[in-house]
Order: sequence, then C-alpha cells, then structure tokens
Amino acid sequence: MVFTDAMRAIAQKELADKLKSRWVIVIAAAFAVFTIVISYFGGATSGVAGFRRMDATIASLTSLVTYFIPLLALTLGGGIIADEHDKGTLDIYLASPISVGELILSKFAGLAIAITISTLAGLGVAGLVLLIKLGSDAALSYVVFMLNSVSLGLIFLSISFLVSILFSERAKAIAFTVFIWLFFALIYDLGLVGLLIITKGSIGNGIFSMLLALNPVDVFRMLNFLSIGELSVFLGLASVELPVYMKTPVLWVLSLLWITLPLILSYRLFKRRYLA
Amino acid sequence: MLELIDITKNFGEVKAVDAVTLRIHEGEMLGLVGPNGSGKSTLLRIMLGITRPSSGKVIISGRELREREWQDLRKGIGYMPERVTFYDNLTGRETLELFRRVKGGRPGTTDEILKKVGLESSKERKVGGYSKGMRQRLNLAQALSNEPNLLILDEPTSGLDPVGTKEFYEILWAARERKNLTVVLSSHILAEIEDKIDRVAIMKTGALRAVGSLEELYSGFNLPLKISITVNGNNAHLVKLLEKEGAVGIEYKDGYLKAGIPREDKIRILSALMDEKENFTDLSLREPNLEEVFFGVH
Repeated sequence: MVFTDAMRAIAQKELADKLKSRWVIVIAAAFAVFTIVISYFGGATSGVAGFRRMDATIASLTSLVTYFIPLLALTLGGGIIADEHDKGTLDIYLASPISVGELILSKFAGLAIAITISTLAGLGVAGLVLLIKLGSDAALSYVVFMLNSVSLGLIFLSISFLVSILFSERAKAIAFTVFIWLFFALIYDLGLVGLLIITKGSIGNGIFSMLLALNPVDVFRMLNFLSIGELSVFLGLASVELPVYMKTPVLWVLSLLWITLPLILSYRLFKRRYLA
Repeated sequence: MLELIDITKNFGEVKAVDAVTLRIHEGEMLGLVGPNGSGKSTLLRIMLGITRPSSGKVIISGRELREREWQDLRKGIGYMPERVTFYDNLTGRETLELFRRVKGGRPGTTDEILKKVGLESSKERKVGGYSKGMRQRLNLAQALSNEPNLLILDEPTSGLDPVGTKEFYEILWAARERKNLTVVLSSHILAEIEDKIDRVAIMKTGALRAVGSLEELYSGFNLPLKISITVNGNNAHLVKLLEKEGAVGIEYKDGYLKAGIPREDKIRILSALMDEKENFTDLSLREPNLEEVFFGVH
C-alpha cells in the first residue's frame, strides 16, 4: 500500500497534535527521569543505592516499562475513533476518497511515531547517563531493550485502536482501556501464578510458556530477559524456565502479530460498525 | 447522474429507508425534506457509498460501483454532515488544509476557499473559538475543498440564525454560479428551502412520498390555492359565499379571511367574490407553500 498524501495528512495531524500539546516531550521527560531514578535506586531493597550492572538495571526497567508504556499507549489511542465520531469528522473521512484501511493505518502511523519518539528520546537520554556511569559493554542490550519498549508501545497502541472502535463514546473507550491495562499488566500474570499454585507446578513449561506468549507484556519481559542472557522469567514469586524454541526471533514474530492482529480486527470491526 | 433504485435500508427491526427510487439530475438542486428520523441522513449516506443498502441499487453512470470505485467517485463529491465541531486545537486554515489533502483537492487552494466562505480574516484563529455559524462555513469549505461536481448537504443551516442562514445560501449560490454544481440538500425547515430548490423529494417514515418540482407537486396533488381576503366589516356574508362555492379550511382572524379554493373553481369563486366587493378591501391568491404540500402528502 502506498502512503498517499491523504494518509500523510492524517498521520501528520495526529503527530502534530501530540507535539503541540507537549505530550511527546512530557512523556519523554517522564521516561528519562523514571529510568534514571529506577536505575539508581533499583537495588535499594538490598540496602545499596547507586548504578548497578546493566543487566540488573534492564531487569528493573522492564518492570517500569511493563506498567508505564501499555497504560500510555492505551490512553493515547483509546479514544481515537470515538473522538472523530463525537466531533462528526468521522463522516467527512468516510465520505472522502480514502479507504477504511488507509484511515486506520494513517492514524496509527501518526500516533506510533509520537510514542516511538517519546520512548526513544526518554530512554535514550537515560541511556546516555547509564553509558557514562556503566560503560559501553552492555550498550547493545540497552538498545535492544529500547526497541522492545517501542514494540510494546505499538502493541498496546494497536489494541487501543480496537477498543476505540468497539466503543463509540470516548469515556467508555478510555474506561475499557484501563481494564485492558489491568488485565495484561497485573491480572493475567496473577492468574498464571495462581494456576501454578493450584496445579502444584505440574503444568509443563511448554504450556506455561505458550500461555505467557499470549500476553504481550510477558512477550516483552521474555525478550528483555533473553537479551540479558537470563533464561528464566520471573512472575512475582514464580520462576519459569523458557523452552528452547522460545527464542528472540519467535518472540519478535509474536510481537509483530500482536501489532498487526488488533489492527486487522479494527479494520473489520470498523467496517461492520460504521459502514454496514 | 446518480440513480437510486428501490433502495431499502434496515437497522435490525427498523426500516430506515423503504423502497426509495430517486434520480438526481446533473446541475439540479434537489431538496430532500422530511421530519427528523424520516431517513434523510441514511439516504444521503447511501448516496455517498458510506452505508450499504439492505436491498436495491445505486447506479452511477449506468452501472453499480465496487468499493474501490466509490473511493474514486468521492473525489468529485463534497459532503457536509449535519453536526461537525472539528478540532478545537487547529486553526481554520489548518483544518481546511487537512481535509483538502484528505479529499485530494488541488494544492494551494485552501486560502481561496476560505475567502469564498468568508473566513479569510479568521483563518489563523483556533476553531475552538469559532461560533456555530463559522463552523458551518468551515464545514461548507471542507465540502467544497475538492471542487466537487456533486454537493451533498445534510441539514446545512441547522442551528444557524436567520443572518447566518442567508449568508450560507449566498455562499452556496456563488459556488453554483462558478460551476455547474449538482446539490442535494436535506432539511426539515421547509420554508427556508422552498424558493431555492429545483425539485423536492418528500420523505416520511423512510419512504419517498413525492418527487418533483413544486409546480408539479401542486398540480399533481391538486392542492387548493390559498386565498386571503382583507374583510371590510362583517365577514359572515363572505364566509357563507365561500362555503357555498366549495372553499375549504375557511378561517377568520384579525380582519383576514383565509381559505383554500379548488383550482378548477378559481375563476368562478373569484367572479362570485367580485359581486361582493363592498365587503372587502383587498384579496390575494397564491400557490400552496412547501409546508402545505408536505402536509398534503400522505
């Protein structure tokens, strides 16, 4: 599909909105501050404050990102279509010579660039501080962590589009995105831990890893732990050995699926909801 | 130009549009009138290819279009939805530039269009500070931004004051003068559009009850002519005469006697009245207006 001038106009509008409202800079600054604070105080529970090894830092930052980015991305896109519907502008887009797919993709592209810039800028600035303090040995792991974080943002942005089409009112859409966030960031893993306890660990690693792969937050965790050479994934008190096939390329494909599938569903649902 | 054949649209149990057949001629201004909820907006959305009919055909240039072809067709259509608030954080110029690009309008025409709709002086202001009238002008501007051949306007003056309404139609006339523009305009304010349209299509409960020019509808439905008599003193004599001659809906109020008289009896009734001219000082005879046609159509 060619990115037409109409699509560029829509994407630019979405990005410009976030730049003009200072959303991008505020989020980038928040990322930078939180990242530095967590990197410094991440080991405070063991009685030591200060910058630690990069792998330990990334493990701490993974927890920050799993809460922060999904919430951010969900609220960013959760009202995107509902807003257009409320304003009446959706009808203008629908009566224009662009397809539904082009409309959804261009809006997604604009917001994806906004969340990518803020994530890379925020984590990048913090990364420079870490580079100065910890040296460049584990710089590649940090770069991979940054890219994984962007990927997590895009996954939840994609999910937010689906929510935005499910609910034609912004308030309902946003309320539901908070539920989605709670589900993937907290409830799902609690459920898995509960499952481990109930089955007394008899559930196999293979099945358990597959269940982990169904949660994009866990996919993100696994990617980061693999990048720092940590083969087990920590879920609260539980520790799970990943099976051999759960390699980085597989997890990248899963991430890609998590980005594309909600968008495809959004497209189909949009057609049923607004064009039927 | 565009032909709807036996179009029906159901939303669950509700029949929003019921077997509508309508042809829109090139260059005409068609008024689609009916009360709220009569199916006008749904029919307009079907004309735009946004809503798919449950049954029936939309024929353009002699054939039905596929989805991709609808997209191409929309390059030549301007659509003004009834209720648009736009983006409060964008200026008028930024808003129009966005929609011009989305609709594939010619680059560099944004300022020209804003000038035509009278928003030149406020184009750098945020739309959040625009009045209802200014937003409607901007709405018309976006509909004109791709220089369409067909303009579809859904309740375009809804919420505008009389001055805003007058200015809106002046802008629309100017646009029609520049180009052979076909306009389909929906409204439930009948008096407002009756002197502006070439033909009218009357919708009630999803069905098309009548289509034609006002003159065709007057004669087609044989609606009585409206007579108004300025009474000079006692009106009882005139009332009796009108009743005897077959006038209908006779009313007396504030010195005026009003009635409907059958077209075929016009000359006879006027002659009879002239024999009683000492009882009135003036009289006028007119065709029924659109509102009377509307209520006369069942």
